[in-house]
Amino acid sequence: MFSLFYGLWKYMLSKTEFHVLILGIDKAGKTTLLEKLKAQYSNSEGLPPDRIVPTVGLNIGRVEASNTKLVFWDLGGQPGLRSIWEKYYEEAHAVIYVIDAACPSRFEDSKSALEKVLRHEDLQGAPLLVIANKQDLDDAVSAEELAQYLDLKKLDERVYTFQAVSAIDGLGIKESVNWLVDSMERSKRTDLLRVRAGSSVV
Amino acid sequence: MGIVFTRLFSSLFGNKEARILVLGLDNAGKTTILYRLQMGEVVSTIPTIGFNVETVQYNNIKFQVWDLGGQTSIRPYWRCYFPNTQAIIYVVDSSDTDRLVVAKEEFHAILEEEELKGAVVLLFANKQDLPGALDDAAVTEALELHKIKNRQWSIFKTSAIKGEGLFEGLDWLSNTLKSGGG
Repeated sequence: MFSLFYGLWKYMLSKTEFHVLILGIDKAGKTTLLEKLKAQYSNSEGLPPDRIVPTVGLNIGRVEASNTKLVFWDLGGQPGLRSIWEKYYEEAHAVIYVIDAACPSRFEDSKSALEKVLRHEDLQGAPLLVIANKQDLDDAVSAEELAQYLDLKKLDERVYTFQAVSAIDGLGIKESVNWLVDSMERSKRTDLLRVRAGSSVV
Repeated sequence: MGIVFTRLFSSLFGNKEARILVLGLDNAGKTTILYRLQMGEVVSTIPTIGFNVETVQYNNIKFQVWDLGGQTSIRPYWRCYFPNTQAIIYVVDSSDTDRLVVAKEEFHAILEEEELKGAVVLLFANKQDLPGALDDAAVTEALELHKIKNRQWSIFKTSAIKGEGLFEGLDWLSNTLKSGGG
């Protein structure tokens, strides 16, 4: 009971907290991206890329940007682990989908996993940021080329963008975060989640 | 005085200390894991009544590992050890499918504990050497790990007998603790 009121109290006083899911197939660079986000937006150092191991579970990054609180959920991308992604959809305000832009042989795998994500009704209306990662590598394709390749259908009503990023040297990170914050603030889904959170408290 | 020098020494050389609790139902393999980590050997164990504590030095972190007895009657005493804990290693016997529900309930009860709110969670899906052992994805499902949304967690397939997966888990743990934890 106490926790109910405490929750309500916290809910009323706090700034909006946005939950952003970081998804993508294995080896796309999700955790490296998360560590870079942490390094750029909070005081923590972030883990050096060579120490990052494949994620089997959940990594969390909490940062503040443009006066909003962002909580990033980074989930493991190996095939057997993708089944838990959907358990996090309901509470997510937006999705970052990371793709290794230097690995065309896995674009098809990326595409089908992404299409599955987008079909899920729990993610209705969630802004989507597709990241063409690993721009530090010579053979990485551009964001436009990747968009062309993916040729995503049924996106008409969803706010989305493609962004070229290097999670290693930080290219495109600021643009990504700005776009996310902006889209989430305008998104109808944010209102929806707020209402739902409110009604579960009362 | 000696303590002062020890602290100074370890802060100079970048050693961090972390208090880790190893929890799980009885017969999950907690004690075997502890001694496998500490000595690199398989020791024959008897059910732990009370606790075993050992220090394991790994990746510049000194893990003080507490292995607490897992039988029903002594689980209530786990909470005496909760304060100042940075991480929990929760060990599951992946082949004991009958008791996964109990393992799940105990696990989520632990997560509710106020004093463990800041602790990161490492799961060992242990006894992978046994036939019928569930893999990491299945144990994740059975333990409803997706309900954890406010702290970092990771799961590893382990076999304490063969020594597999344990240090991969500690790698994750030391990385996570170094980068600021949950």
